[in-house]
Amino acid sequence: MGPESRIYLDHHASTPLSGGVLEAMHAAEPDAWANASSAHGAGRRARAHLDGARRTIAESVGAEPPDIVLTSGGTEAICTAILGAFAPSDVPAHIVTSAIEHPAVSESIARLASRGARVTTLPVPDGVPPDADAFAAALRPDTVLVAVQWVNHETGVVLPVATYADVCRARGVPLVVDAAQAVGKLPVSVAALGVSALAWSASKLGGPHGAGAVWLARSRAHWPVLAGGGQERGRRPGTPDVRAAVGFGAASRALPERLAAMPRIAGFRDRLEAGLRARGAIVNGVPVGGARVATVTHVAFEGLRGDVLVAALDLEGLCVSSGAACSSGLAAPSPGLRAMYPDALWRAEGALRFSLGPETTDAEVDAALSALDRVLVRLGRATMQPR
Amino acid sequence: MDHDASSSLSPLPPHVGRIVVAMSGGVDSSVAAALLHAQGLDVVGVTLHLWDASGASKVGRCCAPEDRDDARRVCDHLGIPHYVVDERALFRERVVDPFVAAYAEGTTPAPCVACNQHVKLTRLVALADAFGATHVATGHYARIEYDSTARPRLLRGCDAEKDQSYFLYGAPTSVLARLMFPLGALTKDQTRAEGRRLSVPNADKPDSQELCFVPDGDVGNFVETQGGSPRTGRIIDESGAEIGRHAGVHRFTVGQRRGLGLAGGAPARYVLRIVRDTGDVVVGADDALGARTFRARDVAWTVEAPTSPFEGLVRVRHRHLPAAARITPIEGGFEASFDVPQRALTPGQAAVIYRGEEVVGGGTIV
Repeated sequence: MGPESRIYLDHHASTPLSGGVLEAMHAAEPDAWANASSAHGAGRRARAHLDGARRTIAESVGAEPPDIVLTSGGTEAICTAILGAFAPSDVPAHIVTSAIEHPAVSESIARLASRGARVTTLPVPDGVPPDADAFAAALRPDTVLVAVQWVNHETGVVLPVATYADVCRARGVPLVVDAAQAVGKLPVSVAALGVSALAWSASKLGGPHGAGAVWLARSRAHWPVLAGGGQERGRRPGTPDVRAAVGFGAASRALPERLAAMPRIAGFRDRLEAGLRARGAIVNGVPVGGARVATVTHVAFEGLRGDVLVAALDLEGLCVSSGAACSSGLAAPSPGLRAMYPDALWRAEGALRFSLGPETTDAEVDAALSALDRVLVRLGRATMQPR
Repeated sequence: MDHDASSSLSPLPPHVGRIVVAMSGGVDSSVAAALLHAQGLDVVGVTLHLWDASGASKVGRCCAPEDRDDARRVCDHLGIPHYVVDERALFRERVVDPFVAAYAEGTTPAPCVACNQHVKLTRLVALADAFGATHVATGHYARIEYDSTARPRLLRGCDAEKDQSYFLYGAPTSVLARLMFPLGALTKDQTRAEGRRLSVPNADKPDSQELCFVPDGDVGNFVETQGGSPRTGRIIDESGAEIGRHAGVHRFTVGQRRGLGLAGGAPARYVLRIVRDTGDVVVGADDALGARTFRARDVAWTVEAPTSPFEGLVRVRHRHLPAAARITPIEGGFEASFDVPQRALTPGQAAVIYRGEEVVGGGTIV
């Protein structure tokens, strides 16, 4: 199976670079090596690229450039937003989060819990996020932080963060939003949202790896997570990666086209999802009437294992994910899926995540279903007749 | 049952398509993959993640992240896909828990047999089905050959030192028909030489020696940490007289001399048997270890199950020189009677029956 015939439907893991991103990074290359904090001409040229990227990134979410802290990626952005809200010796009293968070959120909070913080984890049964009342009921007088994702990385369900933000503002509780799967899929205006911090990543919106950003409210006290120099206005030590930031900026500039493609992507996703259902798949985490992004369908085949299906489909030239472990190459059933369906472990074990992007074509949807048919036939499962 | 296994055999399985190669990260499976790939075959590497290895030992440990990395590196070198498949739950259920339970009741289990029979080979064949592969290859030193009726036969590896056919008797014919052992005709030295010839990245990696899930070899400690509750009891001589106490039957195996905790002196004393009901460990002289007969249960046959007594060679532990015996099928097992008494017939170990080079079946010594 040559790379030319490979179908990539794993855009929630990583996106191909948007048009113009690689060119922008190459154009900055002669200057990007320098230390942007240096006072001399080489440093100033690098600084100019970094400042330009920061302006574009800020504009893309309706923010002011000084409020943007550039990081090494989405995970560091989230850790900065959550862990950086507390002095290292501080024991946060009470924190609220949800049961379906990305590990960058849940593990950051676990770290605070190990320091003594008490944590309320909002359940998300059947993928239905808490409504305003359930959310408000979890807040306590001693709640010092709420951290939730805007869009679930596995199922694409949209959490009502604007509603949560209203509740938090009324109660004076800082809200940290993991927007890694939101920016580039939904219109995001941080000014209108009124949160404490919002974190996202370049590599989920057509930018390179090694670049993330966190917007921090000016009113918020902040302690850098890493120990080091005073870069990023004292909020994130370390010499910035100018080249990655330039790529992030270029991808951010292209966000309007990406957002404009969402209705088309939703059409492809719906057709793919219908095909999957017709082949016996159950769709995970799509509440009736609930909002979700256009780019993903997350399904499970009862009695089949997601990790085995991912490998079998890869041999057919189709790149998808089991929506499971991030880094190890191993499949542990996703904690988020288990939380959505505590009584149906197969929906986590048999999970397959198909995630689409602006590059996805009609023909790829057909080819993906054909690849799945070839695998299901081998496994003795009924498949659709050719259309 | 009574024709010579080495006649009318074909060395290649028919209709070879895609092949799933089980890759541990060690030399043998890496060279097996490289040899098949060098023949232009469609090879897919699979590493079964069976256990989370711990400890600092670099040798004799498997399923460590470094071993998965090695397997991946070999596949990258060959330009073939590689997947890690998590079978930790099945491995614990079918191998580790029974292993701990067997030691705790005073027997000496054969976990590699259980692993091949209930985890590795069965899961690999299922994966081959999912991957559209006709065959599964492993780095075992054993051979599969086909007789004139296209029936697969399991044969000893050509390298008598490395022969691993003992561990494979539990594979049913339907599984044997899917297996390939590319190293079956090679010696270990030849395997390493092939690895160097094919530039396999880990061709000089040291061999693993211990049980993969007990890398430090301390089985007694492992049984204790995995929740086994072995009986304590007396150490007695053949007359029944107590000559000591012991802290758990799991620290003893038939034929063992060291670690009995008895005062020295001649003649040396050996574990003769472990009495399950009382937890007593019976010790005695070396010449009391010999026995002519045993009974086996949980029998598996790689040939049509025999119904009448027959002559064969029986191996009662890995590296035991197979000895001539008369085998009598009984309900749920077989009885074997050796021509010459054999040392230390050990309950829990596998007894594997050969007819010439061919494995015809085996079972667990009662």
